[in-house]
Amino acid sequence: MNALHEMLRAWAASGADSGWLPSTFQYAFVVNALLSGLVIGPLLGAVGTMVVAKRLAFFSQAIGHAALTGVAVGILAGEPYTQPFVSLFAFCILFALAMNFARNHTRISSDTIIGVFLAISLAIGASLLLFVTARINVHVLDTIMFGSILTVNDTDLNILWGMTLVTLIVGLVNFNRMLLSTFNPALARVRGIRVRWQDYLFILLITLLTVASVKIVGAILVEALLLIPAAAARNIARDLRSFVAYSCIIATISCLVGILVPLQFNLPVPSGGAIIMVAAVCFLVSLVLRAAVPALRDAA
Amino acid sequence: MAVRTREAESAPKEGAAALGPALELKHVSLDLGNTSILHKVSFRVEPGTIHCLIGPNGAGKTSLLRTILGQMPHEGVVKIRWGARRGIGYVPQRIDVEDLLPLTLRDFIALSCQRRPAFLGMARRLRAEFDECMQALGLAGKVNRMVGQLSGGERQRLLFAQALIPMPGLLILDEPLSSLDRQGAELIQERVRQLADTGMTILWVHHDLKLVREMADAVTCVNRTLRFSGDPAELLSPERVLEAYAP
Repeated sequence: MNALHEMLRAWAASGADSGWLPSTFQYAFVVNALLSGLVIGPLLGAVGTMVVAKRLAFFSQAIGHAALTGVAVGILAGEPYTQPFVSLFAFCILFALAMNFARNHTRISSDTIIGVFLAISLAIGASLLLFVTARINVHVLDTIMFGSILTVNDTDLNILWGMTLVTLIVGLVNFNRMLLSTFNPALARVRGIRVRWQDYLFILLITLLTVASVKIVGAILVEALLLIPAAAARNIARDLRSFVAYSCIIATISCLVGILVPLQFNLPVPSGGAIIMVAAVCFLVSLVLRAAVPALRDAA
Repeated sequence: MAVRTREAESAPKEGAAALGPALELKHVSLDLGNTSILHKVSFRVEPGTIHCLIGPNGAGKTSLLRTILGQMPHEGVVKIRWGARRGIGYVPQRIDVEDLLPLTLRDFIALSCQRRPAFLGMARRLRAEFDECMQALGLAGKVNRMVGQLSGGERQRLLFAQALIPMPGLLILDEPLSSLDRQGAELIQERVRQLADTGMTILWVHHDLKLVREMADAVTCVNRTLRFSGDPAELLSPERVLEAYAP
């Protein structure tokens, strides 16, 4: 895929030289950033609709926060602090599986279990970060928490392409099964769906997506990009097709505008923060539209 | 540890005209933790009949249905002798769909009945069956409404509709009339009668004993154990029902 990235960077640079693209497009890091936004936007937007339908917003938030601990573990284990992917993936997957197991095998309510796991993860992360900050520049942690899209490189893009492929295959094949399992597990089983398997599959999917997005949106804010575009889309959509489409569009617009505006106007805002602020504006617009357009209001 | 035995036989009974299967339960017991939910329940459902399952609240009727569906670790034997038409349609009591979720009736049926992601639209092969089903159940004008917007009765009709696509051999209904008004209930009853006439086997958890007397070919009463099973006209006397419903 590196050749494709190189080709796109060269094409954007020639566009910037000839004046039909903004001058910032001559920089490779800008093209990398936009490419990652174009990939991650629709992906998170589409999966976000399932997070909202399955009421797993809090669960995805816990996984996002666990990424912080995963990074700390990675740095302590000697991985490069800019790409501690092995520890990040391993810790988040173990954390998500343990949390889902506890959710399924106790009678405690789901939000209580997730809250407990979130607190445990943050406590471990906060403790480990004390050791980590003795080894690295503390500002590196800002990029982990809030994203640093300008440092996205070919490796990060390749991981995103890989995640896109996995998400497309798993998501398209299992979309109906995952949702029906949520709406009525007994009915889903009659339809031949392995409900528990679908549950774990979805958890794994959002964990992998979350981890793959950490560098772009940041550990603290990644779940917001799963949630806010889908929540905004829900306000204005009338059926499942428009729900998924609007969510993808809003997430993609949020990513592109959140990346380009700070660059264009030289704003000292982290990419994650800018992306989520754009998504939040879209959410507010969706609320206004819903209040103003009778057809949308009456749909509820 | 519970021993679960479940058998399915492919060959229809010799000379059987019905499309639906025969169902046979032998000494089915179900324990959840230290609580005995069902104890040595045995009865038989004949193919192509309407068989009602009655009992007081908490008697284990839904658990029995889920045991028949193979979703509970039980002891004993559940045997299904399939007829010409295979497949089980299940009508649950409710679905857990958030009120504001943009999920239309059409989306829900697509979600339940096809492999292609529902947001890509309903599969062509389902459309005629879907339209016919919605028409028959009085939902034809509401196919683009959100599920969360439906009344309780309309949701029940929708759940009934999904169970009939594709047309199953065995239809299992878990109190589908609980939220329905009189008109809606009559619609479902009429449809169930029509389906039974086509040879479908129907197992129906029911609370209205008058209707059971009118509609059912056979009735089984459970209250943790089997209380009686057979002809409703003979068995549904007030004294017998009172005795069966007693703790």
